[in-house]
Amino acid sequence: MASLPTLNTLTTGACASCAEHRAKSLVRLGLSPDRWDYLIALAGNPNTGKSTVFNALTGLRQHTGNWPGKTVVRAEGAFEQDGKRVKIVDLPGTYSLQAGSVDEEVARDFVLFGRPDVTIVVVDATRLERNLNLVLQILEITDRVVVFLNLMDEAKRNGIAIDPARLESELGVPVVPGVARQGAGIDELIAKAIEVARGERKTAPFRVGRYTPEVERAVSGLVPVIEDAYPDVPNARWVALRLLNADEAVQEAVRSGELGQLASSSDETSTDPPPEFMCQRILDTATRLRWDLPADFHDLVTQHAYEAAEAVARRAQMEGVKRAGFELDRRLDRALTSRVFGFPLMLLILAVVFWITIEGANVPSSMLATLLIDTAHPWLKGIAAAIGMPWWLDGFLLDGVYLATAWVLSVMLPPMAIFFPLFTLLEDFGYLPRVAFNLDSLFRRAGAHGKQALTMCMGFGCNAAGVVATRVIDSPRERLIAIITNNFSLCNGRWPTQILIATIFIGALAPATLGGVVSAAAVVGIALLGITMMFVSSWLLSRTVLRGEASSFSLELPPYRPPRILQTLYTSVIDRTLIVLWRAIVFAAPAGAVIWLIGNISFGGASLADHLVDWLDPFGILLGLNGVILLAYIVAIPANEIIIPTVLMLTVTTAGLSGGSGAGVMFEADSVTATEAVLRAGGWTLLTGVNLMLFSLLHNPCSTTIYTIWKETRSAKWTTVATLMPLAMGFVVCFLVAQIWRLLA
Amino acid sequence: MRVNFNSGPPAKPLELRLPAIPLRQTVELVHIDLPADQAEPLLERGVLPGCKICPVRSSPSGDPIISIDGSLIALRRETAACLCVRLLSATGVAGVTQLQEAS
Repeated sequence: MASLPTLNTLTTGACASCAEHRAKSLVRLGLSPDRWDYLIALAGNPNTGKSTVFNALTGLRQHTGNWPGKTVVRAEGAFEQDGKRVKIVDLPGTYSLQAGSVDEEVARDFVLFGRPDVTIVVVDATRLERNLNLVLQILEITDRVVVFLNLMDEAKRNGIAIDPARLESELGVPVVPGVARQGAGIDELIAKAIEVARGERKTAPFRVGRYTPEVERAVSGLVPVIEDAYPDVPNARWVALRLLNADEAVQEAVRSGELGQLASSSDETSTDPPPEFMCQRILDTATRLRWDLPADFHDLVTQHAYEAAEAVARRAQMEGVKRAGFELDRRLDRALTSRVFGFPLMLLILAVVFWITIEGANVPSSMLATLLIDTAHPWLKGIAAAIGMPWWLDGFLLDGVYLATAWVLSVMLPPMAIFFPLFTLLEDFGYLPRVAFNLDSLFRRAGAHGKQALTMCMGFGCNAAGVVATRVIDSPRERLIAIITNNFSLCNGRWPTQILIATIFIGALAPATLGGVVSAAAVVGIALLGITMMFVSSWLLSRTVLRGEASSFSLELPPYRPPRILQTLYTSVIDRTLIVLWRAIVFAAPAGAVIWLIGNISFGGASLADHLVDWLDPFGILLGLNGVILLAYIVAIPANEIIIPTVLMLTVTTAGLSGGSGAGVMFEADSVTATEAVLRAGGWTLLTGVNLMLFSLLHNPCSTTIYTIWKETRSAKWTTVATLMPLAMGFVVCFLVAQIWRLLA
Repeated sequence: MRVNFNSGPPAKPLELRLPAIPLRQTVELVHIDLPADQAEPLLERGVLPGCKICPVRSSPSGDPIISIDGSLIALRRETAACLCVRLLSATGVAGVTQLQEAS
């Protein structure tokens, strides 16, 4: 393997590229600076370590997932280099820029119209040929490109030798080899990118060669017309080919004059769009010329591109190297995607994750409760009394806002701080695409897309994130199904409710030593019911309002990568736990205020809460729930996280229990036993517990998710369907369970 | 030289499709019998005519995972049935190269 000298020098000089060293030259700016000197776009195939490169460049701990198509939201970051601000935009990972899916469209539009000063393409060195396809497509659009040859260590381990210098001369743009996970090559990447951005480094990008004479005739007929209207367009040949291919996005860009923005260097000279007749002439000419093209024109262009990628890869890659067998991967896959063990192992892994969460969260949860509620709350009340705060302000702030927030903090932080890192470890390891693979046959039978399994897994974290993640699905019909049914993934806002209620009502049925296991099994059961409901409703939708056949589907199973434990802990605490917790607190504080208010505003001798609960009670009882739960679900539309504190407070208030505090004060539920005592006193039975777990799974999405669905679909109709369908299902299921239960009891 | 992406009829009848190939037998992909828009995602993932492919596993419900150029790609059965393949040796199954499992 004599051809990897660059990598060796990179890794031996690792200290020069470590974070502390670079921190001296790069001042991290965090997110979205309002102005910048250079704009860098980061493109690449899924699973090439693109997000790792992004993190290494910006220091912003954006989470990187080991599954294809993870980065669906355009992330931004920035750093400072030699006094210049550099803004960097992480594009979705795509295999091409054909604009087949929303992701590809986002990536292409940015490279095309975002006018980045330089586009960095991250390339997986172990799969050079396939990755070059995207590189060549980007080189067709822009000549300001730097290629980062990532995963050089994996390539070396697998006996693949690449000559970066040769690749550079083939492609005509800078090629930087490196290992982003170790930070190797990042300094050189920054230097090269800045050189290209400044225009100091002139590139001569590889362009796919000539086609057959008929095609060349059509192209040369169209190019002058384009250049006539848009004299500054850098690559009229590419535009001509896209127009001959009837590419709608490019047609639209011609029509709107947006194509003029492609004129590369002009930052301030806003060229006026050409007159309408000239734009129309381009489109008309393209339509006319298309008649003369061979029937297999599209295939011809595709074939040409792949042949070019193959030729370049062949020249830059050492011949005759032995492909490694990925033996460990094979053996793992044999178990994890096995016909016999695939499903049981999936359930077992899920159950173990919940069990660790349930068992591990108990102690820190009660410690936090002791600190925040038993100690800090009376102390704050004492201060309020000492400064003579009026009772209503003291009640509103301390009993309403503070207690709600403290409750959410003590009940939610420990399980989240355990659950999210565990989930992230599985994700980093590369297990989730295997889950998608195992579940695909079910999704196919439901008429849905195989990648819906990935968006489902995202939904286990947060449904709003799951809805955004559906952008990886290219068929609009199947994407809509995935959006509408994502709410059946039990999101983290609902896990604490499930875990607590399962512990109180179901775990208590088992002997004390088995309580944790039985509770975990109950929660897994609810999660599985959610998955079942997802299949059933996907099936119903694709047989009725969203009729259609499942499209073809292929999913790359990335190699297993050892999860980076410490980094995972860090990123999942920062990215997920704190963000989700912050959101919970933002919603819990005003909800606490609302709860206190409806508990303390009285008319006709009873509080507003009493009136509402009485009014909702008959309907609640019919569903095997009660008025308190229904009112809590109305108060908690902004965030599912606050269901349990709301339920407790309302139960204490309306059942006339004395928790030692006034009306509208959240009960000091510092332990599961105390919570249980309140609920039992409020008339709760095993049926109430079971139905609350069911209703927590089957009800309307939270307001954030509803808003996200609207943003993604731009359709009031589908947003309404997505909101009301699960609610209707919840009513029906709870009603049936209650009736059958009462018949049998 | 790679030929026959999905353009026009292949030179001779292609009876052999991927589902007929036993696990771990490497074959050559000749042609993808799918409309261009559905074939494209496969091409992008490196499933290119002329490549050596090998079904390595099948899912609980019989969908194949294929190994191609070191990557694992999961396909649906229907998609696999559109992959026309050719045995690597003219002498038939007996002379077929087996994928080296061990490194």
